[in-house]
Amino acid sequence: MEHKKEQKTSATSFSDEIRSQLGGETITLCYQCGTCASSCPVAKTTERYNPRDIIRLSLLGEKQEVLSGGAIWLCSSCYNCQERCPQKVEIADVIYALRNIAIKEGHIPNIYSEFATGLMNEGRIVPTSKFVEKKRPEYGLPPLRPAGLDAMKKILAATGFDKIQWKKEGTP
Amino acid sequence: MEEAKVGVFLSNCGKQLSEILDFKALTEHVKKVSGVALVVQGNEFWRGEGLKTIVDAIKSKKINRLVVAETLPKLSEIAIVKAAEEAGLNPYLVEVIDLKDHCAWPHRDTPSEATEKAKAMLSAAIERAKLLEPLEKLEFPAVKSVLVIGGGIAGMQAAEDLADLGFEVHLIEKAPFLGGLAARAGRFFPTDDCAICIQSPASDVKAITHTSRKCVYRSGFSEIPNLNILTNSKVVKVEGVPGNYKVTIEKKPRYVDESKCVRCDLCTTVCPVEVPDEYNAKLKTRKAIYINTPPVHPPVYVIDESACKFQECAKCVEICPTKAVKLNQKTEKLTLNVGGIIVATGFKEYDPSVIKEYHYGEYPNVITNLELARMIDGFGPTNGAIIKPSDRKPAKRIVFIQCVGSRDRRWNPWCSSICCMISLKNAMLIKSAYPDTDITICYIDIRTTGREHEYYYEKAREMGIKFVKGRPTEISHDPDGNILIVDVEDAILRRFFELEADLVVLATAMVPSEDTKELAEMLGIELDQDGFFKEYNAKLRPTETKIRGVYLCGGATFPKDAPTSSLHAHSAAVKAAKFLSTGKIIKDQRTAFVNEEYCGDCEFCPVICPFNAITLVPKGEDHFVAQVSDLKCEGCGICVGTCPVNAIELRHSRPKQMEAQMNALLSVNGTSKPLILAITCSECGHTAVDSSGMAMMQYPANVRVMKVPCTGILQVHQFLQAFKAGAQGVMVVGCKTDGCHYEVGSQKAQKKVDLAKVLLKEYGIEPERLEMLHMVFIEGDKFAEAAQMMTERIEKLGPLQLM
Ligand code: SF4
Ligand code: SF4
Ligand code: SF4
Ligand code: SF4
Repeated sequence: MEHKKEQKTSATSFSDEIRSQLGGETITLCYQCGTCASSCPVAKTTERYNPRDIIRLSLLGEKQEVLSGGAIWLCSSCYNCQERCPQKVEIADVIYALRNIAIKEGHIPNIYSEFATGLMNEGRIVPTSKFVEKKRPEYGLPPLRPAGLDAMKKILAATGFDKIQWKKEGTP
Repeated sequence: MEEAKVGVFLSNCGKQLSEILDFKALTEHVKKVSGVALVVQGNEFWRGEGLKTIVDAIKSKKINRLVVAETLPKLSEIAIVKAAEEAGLNPYLVEVIDLKDHCAWPHRDTPSEATEKAKAMLSAAIERAKLLEPLEKLEFPAVKSVLVIGGGIAGMQAAEDLADLGFEVHLIEKAPFLGGLAARAGRFFPTDDCAICIQSPASDVKAITHTSRKCVYRSGFSEIPNLNILTNSKVVKVEGVPGNYKVTIEKKPRYVDESKCVRCDLCTTVCPVEVPDEYNAKLKTRKAIYINTPPVHPPVYVIDESACKFQECAKCVEICPTKAVKLNQKTEKLTLNVGGIIVATGFKEYDPSVIKEYHYGEYPNVITNLELARMIDGFGPTNGAIIKPSDRKPAKRIVFIQCVGSRDRRWNPWCSSICCMISLKNAMLIKSAYPDTDITICYIDIRTTGREHEYYYEKAREMGIKFVKGRPTEISHDPDGNILIVDVEDAILRRFFELEADLVVLATAMVPSEDTKELAEMLGIELDQDGFFKEYNAKLRPTETKIRGVYLCGGATFPKDAPTSSLHAHSAAVKAAKFLSTGKIIKDQRTAFVNEEYCGDCEFCPVICPFNAITLVPKGEDHFVAQVSDLKCEGCGICVGTCPVNAIELRHSRPKQMEAQMNALLSVNGTSKPLILAITCSECGHTAVDSSGMAMMQYPANVRVMKVPCTGILQVHQFLQAFKAGAQGVMVVGCKTDGCHYEVGSQKAQKKVDLAKVLLKEYGIEPERLEMLHMVFIEGDKFAEAAQMMTERIEKLGPLQLM
């Protein structure tokens, strides 16, 4: 039988890449005890997300699966796992590191690219609507102030946010 | 001193060397060195005819100093020095060098350069030999008596061995009864035999001949002659030197006369005070006057002074038929004179209440393995019933959680090594007594590495014990608080379980015993990073400490099971016996001495000495000088490297000896490359040079090697001295910083090299000309590479410009 070898990122180079990111430094300490998974409210509600799995896959070099699989965007950043990990793996921070790598490589769920586009074009993540503007006085709220778009653009340029290719991909 | 007449013996190692080195030129060179009285060439000098030539030359008084160039110097040196001594030469006037591994082999491609280097090496050995001074062998008395601290399994085993070997042994135990942690364990894995057997006395057997080899219960332990058992006692002060310690012991009152109590138990019937029984995991209460059951040593009652009402009550005094109760007993202080000390203080269970998510101490039905062991023990507080402490009803569903506070970088990073086996044992004991109990063990990794241990794991599965690969995140309970819920992910199924349990057992970490730190300070020995006692060398000296005469065994160095503790204890006993067996300690004078004229009122060396060999003694009013104990000093010279006024020296490595050696090594170059001095310690550093030669690795002959006892002896000015003497570069080669044979020597050397680099810069010398390297024996390749690298680096820098 012939084995077709898939060309894959080596495990070491992916974990090294994660480790070199802010927040990703502790990933290799994981010994797969599962405390994070049993601590995770998201993992308890959906089979699509399990922090232990993500760490395992990352350490085994399954870069494509981790970055484009969409799971990393499901973490709610509650930090429960990080509090309890016996190896002091900074799991929630590792997930952020993975998201940063994913964005750099263009794996951005729709909703995030929409947020980004909104922020860059209108200075707001959630677009305003006529309906909202009409409703505000009913609740005694003042009219919305215009977003400081110029200042926002300066900040986004200074941080390099505007350089990121906010391509669209599937929704997680 | 008599004028030096040096005899130089040049071994050709069976004609191997003359193929590379020009022996004729070497002989001519040596003959011209002043002070040389005899030069002899031969095939080997460390045995047979060759050695006889040396002996004859000494006997006929032709020579009074000896330089031998021989291969395998570590081995041959021993034979040569011994023969020289027998022939009447002071053994400290001998210098052995290795022209093969340090010269001919590594430089075989440049034979003429090798010959020039050999000349320098011989000159250096001769110059050093001329300045060597005869040293004495010292004899110190050793008391044939040993103190064993800790009456658990290890301490008892060591004490028994030594007492049987005829030593006087004092076994002291902090608790009122012997047995330690092991005695509470109920049974031992993997044989399931009783733990109690290790804590009991001779019972009614007085004749040692009728005792058992397998069971300490019947071993007649307390009846062993020469064995003095002191319970309720602890060490409060240690003074003196190896072979002759004065140890102060504080013996807390028992309030019951050991020689009178007959264990009638009448006292407990009248005692009105009832307190939770700590020994039995507070699963029952006991009176203020009590005894641990079953019979223990000593087999007499004790009063818990924190609970007793004393004179206010005194009911036990009244009722005691033998008048054994003595409420006015006071704490006694006694001094023991012992030659050696064995530390067998064991370990303890970690208190898991800090791990908030497991609610230990808060939920009564969350217990530890040791607490469970008390339940399993038929003599224990529940007579063997496994209950829920909350309502004392039977526990039918039990969940074990492994690695609680162990392998956890938040609490204790180490694996306590025995807890997997302990949980398996406890689970199986319960399962065999109550087969309908539902038992689950949540684990990260099951570690069953000992002999027969894997069978244990096998048997547990066979019995129907369940295993979940996952570390639970939390223990909670149902609304009524009756059922515990263990929240865990089974990583194999990738599924979450909420395991219901009546009882959750935590396999907690094992940590160092209380007072470990204080005791280490008193004894002047080290603790490891985890707080356990540290051996001098874990692989070769696993029961020795850096202080000769102080030994370690059992769980004091790391959590151990009973068989391993026993092994360790027997080994410690042999070491102590070996040390004290002759009643004297022979020690040479390769030690430090203080020039009192220069020394005064500084505390550098007493603090720095890793062996606590230096004390300050008063000299006149308000004036203190350092004093070295010849017995404790190991001759490393770290003090020398530290003294700011050069008031302390080593007898076998005096500054003038080192200087003469250095000058001679750098006197001839004979190569086209810049001279480099490699100063090595006599341990790993020097043997790394040996091994590079043995492996025939090549490096250039401009690298000259000078051996010092430990790189810790070096002072900053010696680097400058080397540059002045002609070195263009200096390498300092010491042990690994965490593997220095004198503990801190190579760290200190590193610091001095770092400092010297700053100073060199100020002097206008490139700091790269000085480098410190750390290596071990087998890293000969590393030495050869470093020698090559240094040579290239210095060549690039060009000649040294000294101001
Ligand atoms: S809790 Fe920590 S060690 Fe355990 S699986 Fe999660 S990341 Fe790994
Ligand atoms: S931080 Fe993210 S991964 Fe961790 S427990 Fe919360 S949701 Fe789960
Ligand atoms: S004197 Fe103390 S031990 Fe004795 S009976 Fe009274 S309380 Fe109990
Ligand atoms: S030579 Fe070493 S052991 Fe001896 S006194 Fe000096 S520092 Fe201590």
